[in-house]
Amino acid sequence: MAFVKKEITPARPAPLSERSVIGWMHKHLFSSFYNSILTIVTMYIIYITTKGLWVWGIADAVWIAESRRECFDISIDGACWAGVIAWMDNIFYGRYPKDELWRVNVGILLLIVWMLPLWLPRVKGKIFIAITLISFYPFLANYIFLGGESSFFSQFMVSAAIVSFVVIMLNAIIGVIQGQSISTFIATRLGSSLKSEKSQRNLNIALLIMAFIIAFLWQQSWVLGEVPWTKWGGLFLTLVISGIGIATALPSGIILALGRRSKLPVIKVLSTTFIEVFRSVPLITVLFMATTMFPLFLPEGFVLNKLAQVIIAVCLFNAAYMAETVRGGLQTIPKGQYEGAHTIGLGYWGTMGLIVMPQALKNMIPNIVGNFISILKGTTLVSIIGLFDILGMLSSVSRDLSWIGLHKEPLLFGAMIFFILCALMSKYSRHLEAKLSTNRKT
Amino acid sequence: MLFSINEYQREIIVVANDSNTKSQRIKPKEKFNFFQDERVRGIFYQILTVVIIGCFFWYLISNTAHNLELRGMNSGFGFLNVAAGFDPGFKLISYTPGIGTYGRIFLIGILNTLYVSFLAIIACTVLGFFIGILRLSSNWLISKVALTFIEIFRNTPLLIQLIFWYVGVFSILPQIKNSLDLSAGAEVVLLNNRGLYTAWPVPGEQFWITGLAFMVALICVYLLKKWVNKHQDKTGKRVPVLLPSLAILLILPGLVFLLTGAPLSWDVPKIEGFNFVGGASLPPAFIALLVALVVYGAAHMAEIVRAGIQSINKGQNDAALAIGLRQNKALRLIIIPQAMPAIIPPMISLWLSTVKNSSLAVAIGYSDIVSLFMQTSLNQAGYAIEIVAMTMGFYMFVSLIISGLLNIYNKKVQLVER
Repeated sequence: MAFVKKEITPARPAPLSERSVIGWMHKHLFSSFYNSILTIVTMYIIYITTKGLWVWGIADAVWIAESRRECFDISIDGACWAGVIAWMDNIFYGRYPKDELWRVNVGILLLIVWMLPLWLPRVKGKIFIAITLISFYPFLANYIFLGGESSFFSQFMVSAAIVSFVVIMLNAIIGVIQGQSISTFIATRLGSSLKSEKSQRNLNIALLIMAFIIAFLWQQSWVLGEVPWTKWGGLFLTLVISGIGIATALPSGIILALGRRSKLPVIKVLSTTFIEVFRSVPLITVLFMATTMFPLFLPEGFVLNKLAQVIIAVCLFNAAYMAETVRGGLQTIPKGQYEGAHTIGLGYWGTMGLIVMPQALKNMIPNIVGNFISILKGTTLVSIIGLFDILGMLSSVSRDLSWIGLHKEPLLFGAMIFFILCALMSKYSRHLEAKLSTNRKT
Repeated sequence: MLFSINEYQREIIVVANDSNTKSQRIKPKEKFNFFQDERVRGIFYQILTVVIIGCFFWYLISNTAHNLELRGMNSGFGFLNVAAGFDPGFKLISYTPGIGTYGRIFLIGILNTLYVSFLAIIACTVLGFFIGILRLSSNWLISKVALTFIEIFRNTPLLIQLIFWYVGVFSILPQIKNSLDLSAGAEVVLLNNRGLYTAWPVPGEQFWITGLAFMVALICVYLLKKWVNKHQDKTGKRVPVLLPSLAILLILPGLVFLLTGAPLSWDVPKIEGFNFVGGASLPPAFIALLVALVVYGAAHMAEIVRAGIQSINKGQNDAALAIGLRQNKALRLIIIPQAMPAIIPPMISLWLSTVKNSSLAVAIGYSDIVSLFMQTSLNQAGYAIEIVAMTMGFYMFVSLIISGLLNIYNKKVQLVER
C-alpha cells in the first residue's frame, strides 16, 4: 500500500509576482533587462515632459493680467492663461449679447433636462420623449436663441414644445415616485380606471388641448429681443451646427442605407451615387460648394444665410457617412433574421423597423458614436469659410490688440474642450455597448 | 451550421413549394389588386422618385442658368487657358505668374496635394504600426504612453492640431540668421521660420551607372530571398537574409560609385541677402501640414493595428511561444501575417482620408488644390461651377483609385481564404 494523503493540501499563497506591488512592477515594468531599460528611459522622458508642461502651464503661468505685455512682464517662460480667461465668454458664446447669455444657457439646459428622463429606468413612455425632442425642441430652441418676431407656425410649435416639456417632466416625476405613466396615474386618481379606455383617451386629449391653449396664451406674452445669427459663435455655434448634424445624420443615414440595399434599381443607384459622391470628397470642398453654389441654385431674390448653407452642407455630408455605417450594421445581420421576420408575416417596414434595424444599430453603436465624434470635430472646418465657431474665436484671440500673437494657449484650451467632449461620448458609447450587449458569455 | 441551406438546396425547396402551390392552388377570392402588387408598387415608387428628383434638378438648373445670366457670369472651361495673375507659392513644376494658366495652377494644386499626401501616408503608416505595437507591449508604462498619444490625437480636431503645429511650432522658429541646425554643426539641414532647408544631391554625368548597379543589387536581393525560401522549404533550415541583403545593397552600388569617381556633388543652402539660396527647401506650412497629417494618421493607424492584432485568437500567440518562438518572432511570423486581412482594409480607408484631410491646408496657406483652385482661382476668375466640379472630380478620381486597390486586395484575400 502506497502512501495516500488523507487531507487536502492547503493552498499555498500566490507567488510574489502575482500579488504585491513589487510583484506587479516586476511583471509589468521590469520583466527583462531590455524591458527595464525601456521603462527607465520612458520614465525619464515622461518626467521631462510633465515637468516642462507643469512649469510652462501651471507653475510659471500667468492667470491674471490685462494684456500679453503684462504677462511677459510677470513671467517670460510661462503660459499666459489670462488671455484665455479674458476671452472665455467669447470662446463659449461668440458675440452673443452679454445680457442675453442666459438664453443660451436656458436653451441648452432645457435640452439636457428634456433628455434626462431617458436615463431613468422607472420612467415610462421614452419613445414619446424622443419623438417630441426631435420634432418640437428645435423650434423652441430656435425661438429662444434667435428671438424677435415669430410667425404663427413658430408660436404653434413653441407652445407644443412647452406642453410636451411639462408633460414629460410630470411624467418623469410620477414615473420615479410611482413607477407608472402619467396617463394611468391620472386615470387611477380620478377613479375613472373602471371606465372604457376610450373615455380615458378622450380625457387625456382634452387635458392636452387645455394645456396647449394655456401655453399658447402664455408664450404670447414672451418678449425676446432678436439676436441675429451673425452674433452667434464660439462653442455654442459649434454645438448648434454639430447638434443639428448629429440629429439629422442618423435618420437620413438609415434611409440612405436602406435605399442602397433596396431591390428597386433606381432607388439603389440614386442612394449609392449620393453616398459615394459625398464620401469621396473632403468636407471643406462641400462647404465651399455650399457657399459658392447654393446662391446660384436658389430662385432670384431668395437669400439663404451662410449659417443655413453650412448646416445643409454638414447634414448632407454626414448623412452619407452615417449611411455607410448603418449599411455596415445591416451587413452583420444574418439572412435568417429577414426570413424569420417574413415567416411571422412582417412586411418590408415591419422587418426593417422591428427586427433588422434594432439589431444592426445596436451592433454599430461604437461606430455610430465614432461618427458623431467626427461630426463634432469636423464642425471646426466652418471657421475656414468665415463662421466664428469655437476655433474661429480661439484664433481671434491672437488678433485682439491686447493679446496679439497669443496662439498656443487658446488652441490648447480648445483642444482640451474637444478632448473632454469626445472622451465623454466614446466612454458613454462603451457603456451603452456593454449594457445593450446580448452576447451570452460562455 | 446544421441548418444552413445552400443555394442549390434552396432552389429545390422553392421549386417544390411552387409545384405544391400549383397543384393545390385555390382560386383567390379577392380580385387581383393593382395597387397591392409588389412589382407594380415598386415601379410606381421608382417612377415617383425619378420624377421628384428630375423636377428638383430641373428647378436647380433653371435657377442656376437664370442666376448666371442675371449676374453676367461666364461659363465653360475656356478659362483654363487664361493666364492667372498670382503666384502659387510652393510648386513642384515651373510656373511664371502672368504667363502660366489656370490649367497649370490646377496641375500644381493636384501635384502639391498628392506630394504631401504621399509622404504623409508613408510616414503615418510606419509610425502608426510602431505605436500600435507599443500599445500592446507587455510593458505597462509603454502601453500607457502609447494610449495617451493615441487618445490625445484622436480626440481633438485635426484642424486645431494643424493650426497649433503651424502657428504654435513652425512659425515661431528662430529667424534665418539663427537657424536651428538639425545636422549637428554641419549646416546642411537647417530649420527656421521660413521653412526647412537641406542640402540636395546633384548627380554628375556618370551617376546613372551607380543607379544601374543599385538595380542589379535589388535583383540580386530578390533572387537571394527566393533561393533562401526554397532552401528552407527543402531542408527546413533558415539562412539569414537581412544582413546579406543589406550588404549587397550597400556594397555593390557603393563600389561602383567610388570606381566611377564619386559623380555626386551637394548643393548646400547658403545665406545670401535675406534668404537661403541653393539646396532644397520646404515652406513651414508644408512641414506643419505634413507633421499634423502624420501624427493624426498615426494615432488612427495605431488603433487599426491594435484592433487587428487583438482580433487574432490569443491561442495563436500561446502556440507560437510553445513551439519555441520568441515574442518578437511570434508577432512577426505568426500574429501580424494573420492580422493583415483585418488591418489592410481600414488602413486603405485611412490613406484615403489622409488625402482628403490634406485639404485642410487651406487653413494655413499651403498651396494644395483646394487653396489654389477652389479658393484663389475661384475668387479671381469666377467660374464657380466648373471649379467646384473639377476639384471634386479630382478627389473622386483619387478615391476611385484607392477603393479600386481595396477591391483588388479583398478579392485576393477571399481567394486565399478558400
